[in-house]
Amino acid sequence: MRAVGSRILLLLPVVAVFVLFLALPMLTVLNESFRTFEPGRIGSVAGAPLTTNNYTELIHQAYFRYFAQTYLLALCASLLAIIFAFPISYYIARLAPPWMRKASVSAIIGLMFLSALVRVYSIQLTFGSAGILSPIMSAVGVNTNGRTYIYVVIVAGLLHYAIPMSILILIGAIQNLNPRLTEAAQSLGASALTSHLTITIPLCIRGLVSAFLVSMTLGISAFVIPWILGRGRVLFISNLVYSRFSEVANYPSGAAISIVMMVLSILLIYVMSRLATSLDRT
Amino acid sequence: MNILELIDVSKNFGGFTAVDSVSLEIEKGRVISLLGPSGCGKTTTLRIIAGFTSPDVGTVRISGNDVGRLKPYERNVGLLFQDYALFPHMTVTQNVAYGLRHRRTPASAIPSRVKQMLSLVRLDGMEARYPHQLSGGQQQRVALARALATDPQIILLDEPLSALDAKLRLELRIELKEILRSVGATTIVVTHDQEEALSLGDEVVVMRAGKIVQRGTPTQVYEAPADKFVAEFVGRSNWFLGSRPKGLGSYVTGDGLEIRAASELPNRQIGADLCVRPENIELVDNATAKTAVDRERNALSGIVLDVAPLGADVHVVVQLAGKTRLLAVRKNVRGTPGLVPGQPVCALFSASDVLVFHDQNAEVR
Amino acid sequence: MITKRNTDALLAFFVAAVIAITAVFLLFPVIVTAFIAFDAREYIGPFPPTALSPKWFGRLFHDPYLWSGFKTSVLLAIAATILAAAIGALGALGISRMSPQWRDLVTTTFLSPLVLPGVIVGFALLMFFSAFIPLPVLPKLIAGHLVITIPYTIRMTLIGLTGIKETLREAALNLGANERQAFFTITLPLAKNGIAAGAIFAFAFSMDDVATSLFLSDFNTYTFPVALISLMRSKFDLTIAAAAVVLMALTVVLLFVLDRVLGLERVIGQDLYRA
Repeated sequence: MRAVGSRILLLLPVVAVFVLFLALPMLTVLNESFRTFEPGRIGSVAGAPLTTNNYTELIHQAYFRYFAQTYLLALCASLLAIIFAFPISYYIARLAPPWMRKASVSAIIGLMFLSALVRVYSIQLTFGSAGILSPIMSAVGVNTNGRTYIYVVIVAGLLHYAIPMSILILIGAIQNLNPRLTEAAQSLGASALTSHLTITIPLCIRGLVSAFLVSMTLGISAFVIPWILGRGRVLFISNLVYSRFSEVANYPSGAAISIVMMVLSILLIYVMSRLATSLDRT
Repeated sequence: MNILELIDVSKNFGGFTAVDSVSLEIEKGRVISLLGPSGCGKTTTLRIIAGFTSPDVGTVRISGNDVGRLKPYERNVGLLFQDYALFPHMTVTQNVAYGLRHRRTPASAIPSRVKQMLSLVRLDGMEARYPHQLSGGQQQRVALARALATDPQIILLDEPLSALDAKLRLELRIELKEILRSVGATTIVVTHDQEEALSLGDEVVVMRAGKIVQRGTPTQVYEAPADKFVAEFVGRSNWFLGSRPKGLGSYVTGDGLEIRAASELPNRQIGADLCVRPENIELVDNATAKTAVDRERNALSGIVLDVAPLGADVHVVVQLAGKTRLLAVRKNVRGTPGLVPGQPVCALFSASDVLVFHDQNAEVR
Repeated sequence: MITKRNTDALLAFFVAAVIAITAVFLLFPVIVTAFIAFDAREYIGPFPPTALSPKWFGRLFHDPYLWSGFKTSVLLAIAATILAAAIGALGALGISRMSPQWRDLVTTTFLSPLVLPGVIVGFALLMFFSAFIPLPVLPKLIAGHLVITIPYTIRMTLIGLTGIKETLREAALNLGANERQAFFTITLPLAKNGIAAGAIFAFAFSMDDVATSLFLSDFNTYTFPVALISLMRSKFDLTIAAAAVVLMALTVVLLFVLDRVLGLERVIGQDLYRA
């Protein structure tokens, strides 16, 4: 009995913080999402009637575009991230000499610690339409003001975080894989390429899905990256919530969008976990 | 006077009976080996004595006091963990002093006691080192010093020699016994290694499936095992399983070999398992064998299957008629004629060296 | 001819190419920014800079708007770090003593803010506070940062704790220490590396946060990233580059400390990033 008591005591502060600063606020948001919004006022009026308007209006075509943009660009970035990260992780986990390993891991963690603003700024500075490389881009015939280019730059911005994250996750996954398995495949006649395609990658499915999922969730939640690199023309859902709040003071709508976002994220995590379990053959 | 008394102690873990009605008394100053395979309950018994687990049923008395309700830190039991459990963030001195400090020894007395303990385990000069700076053998000595420092009434050693390589094991075994003797500690050594058990203990207690199966001196346990399990677990053995009695003093094995045995089972009707220790088997050529056979000796002919010279001993595997193989161990003494695979040979052993046990399978019939 | 040897050679080339391209892709913008921060020109001209000057750093330090934000950020990060480290460490200790089936559930719950968009956290807190508990800005910011950083402190402390064998605690109990003494003399000292690593992560991500802080800041009290981002949207000049370099230096310092405290290898060793 004493042991249980000490455990409860230890967890009390965390639980308090979570209830007070996360659970209750989220409930407030949920409540607000069902309130009517009157233009011109800030937020909903106390005692305003309950409504599902805030949700139903999201099905409108205009909103759909924002959701689609967010998810598709996040998807692109996440897929590219694991494709690029896997060879790098493999190299660091299995082939790199110790000093190289240390240096790479330091660089990767460093990139993750690096402020999102610095990354966004650097990308804007380098790839942006007024950036360093823009003369070269124009010379090659790339329209740096076109919508497609903005998409590319946003994906680049997402990749600057997704690739290091994916590398770290995949290093863990590869480290847990017995290297003798690949060697066994090769001793049985498979080329290195075949052995990796048939052995290494299938056995790392959990790690790949995990990396994909983390990149996806971060991509969907992205705020700074689309805000700066999107140049007002491409908006993510987070930006939508912010604009509801700051420009229009339509809190109920912002709340509704937030709830929808959360539900979709939970669904995504659930689906991907099931996928990982079904594909996992370890 | 009994330092330790376990009276009808039982412990269950969710349906699995780890310790089954175990009773044990240990006198002051004795070293007892608790021997058994993994899962036999020896570790659980150890943890019950130390106070990390409380028994479901039964009493635990240390020096006459019922300690059932006492926490580990309220008992004075020394414990040498299998992985030594040295505190990595403390020096050797701090490790050894830890128990003294927490049992309220006056601060002035601690340094001299630590020094005394380190001398006892021959680690003078290592006071300021950290565990990761010590070798495995040195770490074990520190762990021993730490356990002995508080002058505990009883010391528990959990697989003390298992982590060491063969040479070190022999050295430390001798030192360990000396140290324990000089301190006069009442000791329990828990192990699955029969060599460790036989060499360290004044007495050996064999456990199986939560129960004590036999208690005796190392010689008794080896030469007069209580049942087939003990005979097989302690030392090497050759078996003639499922033999049937035939006339007085002899049995017929499943392969039709006739074996003369000096000991008798209480109920001669039931079948028996016969056992001979490899070092009691002498291998001679068939000609010599004919003169050696008599009522007191067995002579079984066969072919040498494998010869493994292992330095001091030579292990020879002999294939007898039928399916039985015998392992004979002979000393590698100069002058003994060597054997080669394929050579016909005769295995000699006396009837008094044959151990006879009830064939448990036969009783079902 | 397509032999296995050829495909393997191609694979090796491809892998090398991927590594090279990615390295350049990730590092080039950062390096460019570092150089540009020293550009002597008044405008963003073609790379490389024609002349170097530290003047942008001067402008950075003399800009009251940015400077105020920096001070608030540091204060906020320190406060949030201390609280998050303490709360997270206690929580991790509690979790480590739970039975396995509860442990996963509880851990996932407390790590959930990692996947929550910062805007939602900020938005929710703002609504909650304005509706129920009016507070000045700084406590609100601290609350927001706690939600963001505690998952990291819990995670890193748990990683630190998995290294401590249970037999050490038992040895302490056996030698006469009661549960409280064993905790303070054995468990806590050995866990402090994990706790410190968590604190480092907390500090880094607190200094970095934009989305949540944006909601919770106001005209007078705002964080450094919030200040920078408004600057970025209005006037895209090189003062921001100087600020970026300052932040990069901070990152390097944090990396160094993290390595001394826990060792960078251990950060990746056990699944830190299980989603």
